[in-house]
Amino acid sequence: MDWKPFIGLPLWFWLFVLPTILTIACWYLKDKAQKFLAPIWRVLNVIYTTSGIIAAIFMVIILLLIVAQMIARWTGVTFHGSTEFAGYAMAATSFFALAHALNRGAHIRVSILLNLNNFTKRWVDIFALFVAALIATYFARYAIKANIFSEMLNDRTQGQDTVPQWLLTLFETIVTSPTQWTTLWSQTSSEMVYTPLWLPQIPMSIGTTLLAIALWDNLIRFVVLDKSNIKGEMI
Amino acid sequence: MTEIYATIIFLIVLFGLLGSSVWVGLALMGVAWVGLELFTSRPAGDAMITTIWTGASSWTLTALPLFIWMGEILYRTRLSQDMFRGLAPWMRLLPGGLLHTNIAGCTIFAAVSGSSAATLTTVGKMSIPELRRRGYPEYMIIGTLAGAATLGLMIPPSLTLIVYGVTINESISKLFLAGVIPGLVLASLFMSYIVAWHFVRKSERPEADKAMGLGDMFRESRFLIPVLVLVFAVIGSMYFGWATATEAAAVGVIGALVLAASQRSLNLSTFYESLMGATRTSAMIALILMGAAFLSLAMGFTGIPRALASFIDGLGLSPIALIAMLTVFYIILGMFLDGISSVVLTMAIVEPMIRQAGIDVIWFGIFIVIVVEMAQVTPPIGFNLFVLQGMTSHEISYIAKTAIPMVLLMVLMVIILVTWPELATWLPDNMRATPG
Repeated sequence: MDWKPFIGLPLWFWLFVLPTILTIACWYLKDKAQKFLAPIWRVLNVIYTTSGIIAAIFMVIILLLIVAQMIARWTGVTFHGSTEFAGYAMAATSFFALAHALNRGAHIRVSILLNLNNFTKRWVDIFALFVAALIATYFARYAIKANIFSEMLNDRTQGQDTVPQWLLTLFETIVTSPTQWTTLWSQTSSEMVYTPLWLPQIPMSIGTTLLAIALWDNLIRFVVLDKSNIKGEMI
Repeated sequence: MTEIYATIIFLIVLFGLLGSSVWVGLALMGVAWVGLELFTSRPAGDAMITTIWTGASSWTLTALPLFIWMGEILYRTRLSQDMFRGLAPWMRLLPGGLLHTNIAGCTIFAAVSGSSAATLTTVGKMSIPELRRRGYPEYMIIGTLAGAATLGLMIPPSLTLIVYGVTINESISKLFLAGVIPGLVLASLFMSYIVAWHFVRKSERPEADKAMGLGDMFRESRFLIPVLVLVFAVIGSMYFGWATATEAAAVGVIGALVLAASQRSLNLSTFYESLMGATRTSAMIALILMGAAFLSLAMGFTGIPRALASFIDGLGLSPIALIAMLTVFYIILGMFLDGISSVVLTMAIVEPMIRQAGIDVIWFGIFIVIVVEMAQVTPPIGFNLFVLQGMTSHEISYIAKTAIPMVLLMVLMVIILVTWPELATWLPDNMRATPG
């Protein structure tokens, strides 16, 4: 049920088999693939960095939320749902930064076999990238599924946090056809509603998808260029 | 019987994935997935996301990026340069002389940063050339630095303690306060080693520098004083119950920004670099925590932790014997894994065990930090060894050898902590209740 067919083939084919075939094809073609892939790589690099910067902005938001909460407490004002919002911002900063952290070598791994000799350096790295890409793809697939289900079941926050309704409509606008935009917005009031979980879960879907793309991307770069896009292992 | 098969399969898959250099967080997810698919009929993917989302969006975790950021800001300021100048006039008075700047410098920097690698680089960058110039023996310079840098993990804010607290759901403020006294005791153990060297190896003493007036001494340390004020503000606000750990972290970030600005070392590029650096480190730890959360869930379903806890219980080990066993276990694990990974990887199993044995979990947090600290300076995988190798271009084996006395002192520290558990539990027991 989880892997029901999509355009005639089961979903797992599109998620796991197709990228593998692409990787092998790029491996075989090498120089030709490089010419074709170079512009894609440039675009992807920009996306990874942008996503990292968005993550950093959410970290500043955590700081501001906590400062606001402290000030609210001292002045006796109540700030409903500040802890929930800080939690959402925490999730956003973690998920958005995943791919960027990967490319900058921040994620750690055990590198004993990797550093053994040149043979293991190449083959172990290819194997690790491949397995990691499979796991990350699985992760992203279920993150997106959970996000869609939160929307379908209309899951709301357990806390006291509310968001304005127009913000939700703004996101709904993106996924509805332009012909229905007027009806959609005419039903929107400026009321505050309890945060639906799908909203803070969007960074999870985007971040995990980017991580999966980044891992496949690194694997392909590795087989084509003999080196991945991961620069500078941690200090 | 299923538990035994499950354990064996978990271990094989775990070592297979970790050994083939799959990133730790993703490797843990892979292991958990194998476990769930093989031993339960629960849909693995949905259970995974529910657990990961709850963990990743938790309020307690927000202390982590902020404390990392605070350390990052101060790491990029002139603090490291001022540290040596500020400490030197005072340390000169002690037997063993300027070698003490390694320990004191690491202690102070540990109090603003939660990472041992950052502590090591900041202090080492300044103290290694200065100490060499003054003719201190190389093995003492490297050894004391390698040992003292591990204080970064114990003296609050400590990333390892935040991760431990989040994993077992205990108060991070309490854990931080518990780390203060043992951290200082360990620092004084390191210092007494230097004093002992001073009296035993008289021939190795370098010539003393000329004395300095008290006024000059204060002038030289004018940059250190604001840092110390910041440290007391952060720890004090937790102790007196004015702020939660997260709020103390926010105070720390703002304080660090003000401090950096007043030193004129804060500009757009250092701000950006500190922010991005902190974001990356925080994402790295978050990914490990996500993997660990899923793995704990999977292990819970297989019943391994419960079975193991009752097995240990059936052995009738005394708490001391259990602690001794765990010490050996963590030292071996630490040879291959970094501190944070070994904590999150084992807590699902170890937590029921220690609760069953009636061991205080706050105390255990400090214990586990000391043992994973040892792992930072023991080969073949010791993070501090790699950092020092990069900084000094000595062989790993040489650096590890110079650090042996420090490792022995840490073993002594474990014994002290077992003998007097109040060292860790007294401060948190006496802190005021935290709001919110």
